[in-house]
Amino acid sequence: MRRSGAQIALSLGVLALGAGIAVGTSYLPSQGGYARIGPNFIPAVVAFGLIVSGAFLLYEALTGGWRSMPEPAERTEHALHWGAFAWISAGLIAHMALMQWAGFVLAGALLFTCVARGFGSARWLRDAAIGLAIALGVFLFFVRVLNVSLPGGWLKPLIGGL
Amino acid sequence: MEAFAGLLQGFDVALKPINLLWGFIGVTLGTFVGVLPGVGPALTVAMLLPLTAQLDPTGALIMFAGIYYGAMFGGSTTTILLNTPGESASIATALEGNKMAKAGRAGPALATCALGSFVAGTIAVVLLTLLAPVVVEVALKFGPAEYFALMVFAFTTVAAVLGASTTRGLASLFVGLMLGLVGIDSQTGQPRFAFGVPELLDGIDVVVLAVGLFAVGETLYVAAYTSRLPETLEKMSGSIWMSVQDWKRSWPAWLRATAIGFPFGSIPAGGAEIPTFLSYSLEKKLSKHPEEFGSGAIEGVAGPEAANNASATGVLVPLLTLGIPTSATAAILLTAFQNYGIQPGPLLFQIQPDLVWGLIASMYVGNVILLVLNLPLIGIWVKVLTIPRPALYAGILVFATLGAYSLHQSWVDLATLYVFGLLGFVMRRFDIPVAPAVIGLILGPLAETQFRRALSISQGDASVFVTQPISATFLAVTALLVIVPWLVRRRRRRTKAAA
Repeated sequence: MRRSGAQIALSLGVLALGAGIAVGTSYLPSQGGYARIGPNFIPAVVAFGLIVSGAFLLYEALTGGWRSMPEPAERTEHALHWGAFAWISAGLIAHMALMQWAGFVLAGALLFTCVARGFGSARWLRDAAIGLAIALGVFLFFVRVLNVSLPGGWLKPLIGGL
Repeated sequence: MEAFAGLLQGFDVALKPINLLWGFIGVTLGTFVGVLPGVGPALTVAMLLPLTAQLDPTGALIMFAGIYYGAMFGGSTTTILLNTPGESASIATALEGNKMAKAGRAGPALATCALGSFVAGTIAVVLLTLLAPVVVEVALKFGPAEYFALMVFAFTTVAAVLGASTTRGLASLFVGLMLGLVGIDSQTGQPRFAFGVPELLDGIDVVVLAVGLFAVGETLYVAAYTSRLPETLEKMSGSIWMSVQDWKRSWPAWLRATAIGFPFGSIPAGGAEIPTFLSYSLEKKLSKHPEEFGSGAIEGVAGPEAANNASATGVLVPLLTLGIPTSATAAILLTAFQNYGIQPGPLLFQIQPDLVWGLIASMYVGNVILLVLNLPLIGIWVKVLTIPRPALYAGILVFATLGAYSLHQSWVDLATLYVFGLLGFVMRRFDIPVAPAVIGLILGPLAETQFRRALSISQGDASVFVTQPISATFLAVTALLVIVPWLVRRRRRRTKAAA
C-alpha cells in the first residue's frame, strides 16, 4: 500500500497539538495545596497522551498506512468535490460574519442558499426564498414563543429581536 | 421494594397531562428529526436542546427521553428505506432491512423494528428500574478514587476496546480531553488554554462539539464525497402488517437481542455497535431460514434493532446512577442535565427522587406513545425522506448554527462550530471515531476533579488508587482490557507468520 500523505499530515497534527499543550502547560502553576499537584498536572498527562497517540499514528502511517481502515470498495464515495466544500464553508463564514450585523434571518437565509448551492441546487432564487421563510419562522418561534434572544439586524424594525 | 415505590411516585409525575404532552412532543420531534438522513440520535438531541430553554427541569428531561426514543426509531426507518445508516449501531439493521425493502417487504421490516423497539425498550426500562437502586446503593460508598478509576475504565472501553483501531480511538479521546482542559480550572480558578477569549473561559460546550462534528462535519463530508452519487429510496409498498410467520420469527429475536443489548449498554462499555452485530450473527446461526440471510430475513432486522434499543436504555444505567456517559448521545443528555444544574449520580436519587423516577416512568410512557404514534404515521415519516437533499442539509445547518449561537450570543461559538466541523469532516473521511472525543470533553473535567480530590484526601499519596479495593479492581480490569486483546493479536500474528 502506498503511503498516504494525508495520514502522515494528520499524525503530525496530533503530535503538534500535544507539543502545543506541553508548551502551554509549562506556563501553568504547579502548586495545588493538599493534593500536591496543581492545575498543570492533567494538562501534562493530556499532552503526553496526544504525543504518544500521534507517534503511534505516525508509525502506522509510515509502515503501511493506518490499521484496519475500511476497504476502498466498502466506501461509497466519489472524488472530493471541492466546489461543494467551498460553498458550504463560505456560507458558514459569511453567516458568522453577518450574524451580529445583518441579523439572524438574513444570515440564515444566506447560509441556506450557500449550502443548497453546495449540494448542487441550481435554483438559488428559490433556495433564498425558502431559506428566508425557514429562518424567519425559526426566528419568530424562538424570540416570541421561547424568549430566546436573537439578533434582528437589518430587519429589526420589522420583526424585533436584539 | 424501594424501586416499586419510587416508580409509582414517578408515574405520578409522568402521567401529569403537561408532562404527557412534553413526552408526546418529544417523541414526535425526535422521530421527525431522527428520520432525516444523516441525523443520528446524538445530533437530534443536541439540535433540539435549545427548545427546552424555557421548560422546568422535569418537563424538559421527559421531553428529552421522548426525543431519545423517537430519534432511535426514526433512524431505523431511514436505514431500512435508504440504506444510509445514520450511526454505526444501525449498520446491522441495514443489512437485512434494506434487502427486505428492496423485495417489497418494507412494511413488515418497519413493523418489526417498531414492535421490537417497543418490546426491547420496555423490558430494558424494567431492568433499569430494578437495577438502578442496586447500583445507587453501591455507588453511595464510592469516593473520589473509585469514581476516577471508573472513569478511566469508561475512557478505555470507549476509546481503546471498541471501534476498529485502538490508536485512532485514543487519538480521538485525547483530543476530547484536550478540549476539556479549556476554561477555568474548577479547583483553583486558574484559566487554562483560553487565550484571553472570554467565551472560552466557560469551557467548550459539548453541544458545540457534538453539533460541529455530527452536523457541520457530516454535511461537509456528504457534500464533498457523496452528494453527487445517485440515491435510491425504497418504496413503502404492500401491507405494513406482519404475517403470523413474521411474528413467529420476530419475537424470539427481540427477546434474545434484549438479553444481549441491555448488559452491553449498562456496563460502561458504551456503543451499541457490538451488541447489534452479536445479535445479527446469533440470529443467523439460530434461524430456520439461514438461506434468507443476505436477501432479507426478518430475524436479521428484528434482532439488531431490538439490541440497539435495549443497549440505548442500558446506557442510562451508568448515566443516571453514576453520572458517567458512555455514548455520544448520553454525553449530550448529561449536558442537558447540567444545564439545569443537576448532576446525575447516586445522590440525585436521594435529593430529587421525583425527577429521576419521573424520568424513568416517562420512558415507559414514551415507549407506548412511540408505538401508537409510529405505526399509523409511517406514511408521513416516509414523506420526510423525500425532502430534496440541498434543502435538507441547508435546513440542518441553519438549525445547527442556531444552537451554537444561542449559547453566548456570540460569533465566537460559530467560529468554534466551524472548526469542529472541519475536524468532523477529517475524522469522518479517515475513519476516526468521534464518540471518544465527545465523551472525553464532558468526562475529562469530571475525572480531573475526582483525581485531584482523591489526592487531596490522601495528602498527595498516589497509592490511594491501587490500595482501595474497588478502585484497584476497576483499574486492573481496565489494564486487562487493553493488554489481553493486544496479546491475542500478537499471538495470532505469530502463528500466522509461523504457518
